[in-house]
Amino acid sequence: MSSSRTAVRLNRILAMLPWVLANPGATVEEVCTRFDYTRAQLAADLDLVFVCGLPGYGPGDLMVAYIDEEEVVVEMADYFAEAMRLTPREALSLLASAMAVLGSGQPAPALERAVAKLQAVVLPDASQALTIALPEPEFVGELRTAAADGTVVAITYTAIATGATTQRDVEPWSAFTTLGNWYLRGYCRSAQAERVFRIDRIQHVAATDESFTPSVVAPVPVVRYTPGEEDVRAVIRLGTSARWIADYYPVEVLEEDEDALTIRFSASEPAVAARILARLGPDAELIDGDEVAVALADLRQRILGRYVG
Amino acid sequence: MRSVIERILNLLAFLLTVERPVTAEEIRMTVAGYDQVSDDAWRRMFERDKDLLRSLGIPLELRPTDVWEVEDGYVVPAEDYSLPDPGLTDEEQAALWLASNVVRLGGGAPGAAALFKLGGSPLAAAGEPLAADLGRNTSGLAEVFLALSERRMIRFGYRGRPRRVAPYGLVHRRGHWYVVGAEEPGSTVKVFRMDRAEELEATGKRDAFTPPEGFRASDEIPEAPWEAGGDDLEAIVEFDPSIAWWARRQLTGRSAVITRPDGGLTATLQVANPDAFIGWLIAFEDAAEVLEPQELRDRIVARIEGRS
Repeated sequence: MSSSRTAVRLNRILAMLPWVLANPGATVEEVCTRFDYTRAQLAADLDLVFVCGLPGYGPGDLMVAYIDEEEVVVEMADYFAEAMRLTPREALSLLASAMAVLGSGQPAPALERAVAKLQAVVLPDASQALTIALPEPEFVGELRTAAADGTVVAITYTAIATGATTQRDVEPWSAFTTLGNWYLRGYCRSAQAERVFRIDRIQHVAATDESFTPSVVAPVPVVRYTPGEEDVRAVIRLGTSARWIADYYPVEVLEEDEDALTIRFSASEPAVAARILARLGPDAELIDGDEVAVALADLRQRILGRYVG
Repeated sequence: MRSVIERILNLLAFLLTVERPVTAEEIRMTVAGYDQVSDDAWRRMFERDKDLLRSLGIPLELRPTDVWEVEDGYVVPAEDYSLPDPGLTDEEQAALWLASNVVRLGGGAPGAAALFKLGGSPLAAAGEPLAADLGRNTSGLAEVFLALSERRMIRFGYRGRPRRVAPYGLVHRRGHWYVVGAEEPGSTVKVFRMDRAEELEATGKRDAFTPPEGFRASDEIPEAPWEAGGDDLEAIVEFDPSIAWWARRQLTGRSAVITRPDGGLTATLQVANPDAFIGWLIAFEDAAEVLEPQELRDRIVARIEGRS
């Protein structure tokens, strides 16, 4: 058994015991629901608790834990009556998740109260210290409603890579935000394939008379651009102040040393890599990638055309 | 695994009830599960067990066993072990559970471990799911959070120079995490981007500073990346008609925007961070141009030519 599975099991036992002690008469079903146990897992953990306790380890020293009819019984375990404190990472993740949902502007009164109570415990003197802001761009609300109702939408979309504007009929599945941008994921009827659209690049949304059956599977916030076979690739050397690129784009790290990170960058269009290189200036150097080099030279020439001469 | 968990429950039960620091040797002689092993095996076992306890957030400290401080012993301070009960209702608990399922931080969800500590979730809550990814690189975030809650200073490298900062706040905005604080308690509040902070760690004693009265972290983070930092520079920018719709969406309330007869925009922006501003402007390629000031035009040319 790996130690992380041991930690997970131990954490659950040390969380379950205080709750059962505080809620005498709790049923097997309640405990299983709360702590995501199967009946057999719960029985096994209670058996294990039953043989532990204080030095001496006689009948009067061990904890008592068993299932009586449908009731979970724990006794002689007062030293485990208090719930464990959250680690800083756990507290931050929980608060940040809750604040992300609130920060998107959706009303959630129960969650708002939960955040206030949790903050009072983990950040008692600093209630304004943590903030998560995920301002929703235009159309997010409409796209969410269409996704929930199963309404096909007609969108006017300008691709970020090429700048081309197209009209598309899309079955919207979910709107989500990752690394600062909002995206729509859905089935594009025009392309006859699943597609991800950046919502700030949608110029217009209109509901159509067409409908579709929304999937029951909850949306998962994965999303990063996945490199495809047709992609252009470039090898780029990033100086110290440009290293953050590796956290924001799907790059492959080729070499890392004190001063620089050498990466392989993939993009659907050379223009995407060219824009990044142009903005990084001397912090990045194109080592290899002819198509990108051409796009970069072209971009530089066009921008300089507005400033020089 | 069963024997490990039994041993650790015994160890923790002992440490929570003994009310004094106990030496490693006493633990070995007293707690069930450590007997019958060789010296080497015992040392390895005890190291692993300590790590496991600490990974769960259990404070395990070394303190002198007596006033002469000859020997150190282990102690789990009761006040640091437990979580003050936040008093969450079932409904609030369920709402937290839902939120933690649709938000990712560091590539994963907060996970059940934290929710279990708060008493689990009575029911799967129904609601509008928001799917949000708050970033993959989370190094330093938990450390800043700890420092915030204990009001300790943090130190890190930033733009090639070491900093020591009183962290007043931690903010996520549009894909970036920022720490807000002052380099000297009481001095000007500054904003640092977390992904540029290197080798960050909390340092010094607790309660080392007090944030300014009425401090709100959210007030310190500007709406647009180029509005963070030093003194404002007023820039006049021309956006071509083809991308006017996209530019308009990104301009903040601090910009004055005029629509020209051709459909393009002329905007007056407050630029505090020219680097971030230039990075943003390049996304418009040659469909945008800074008209004034000349200084900013020169910097753009220098950047495009790869000089600075």
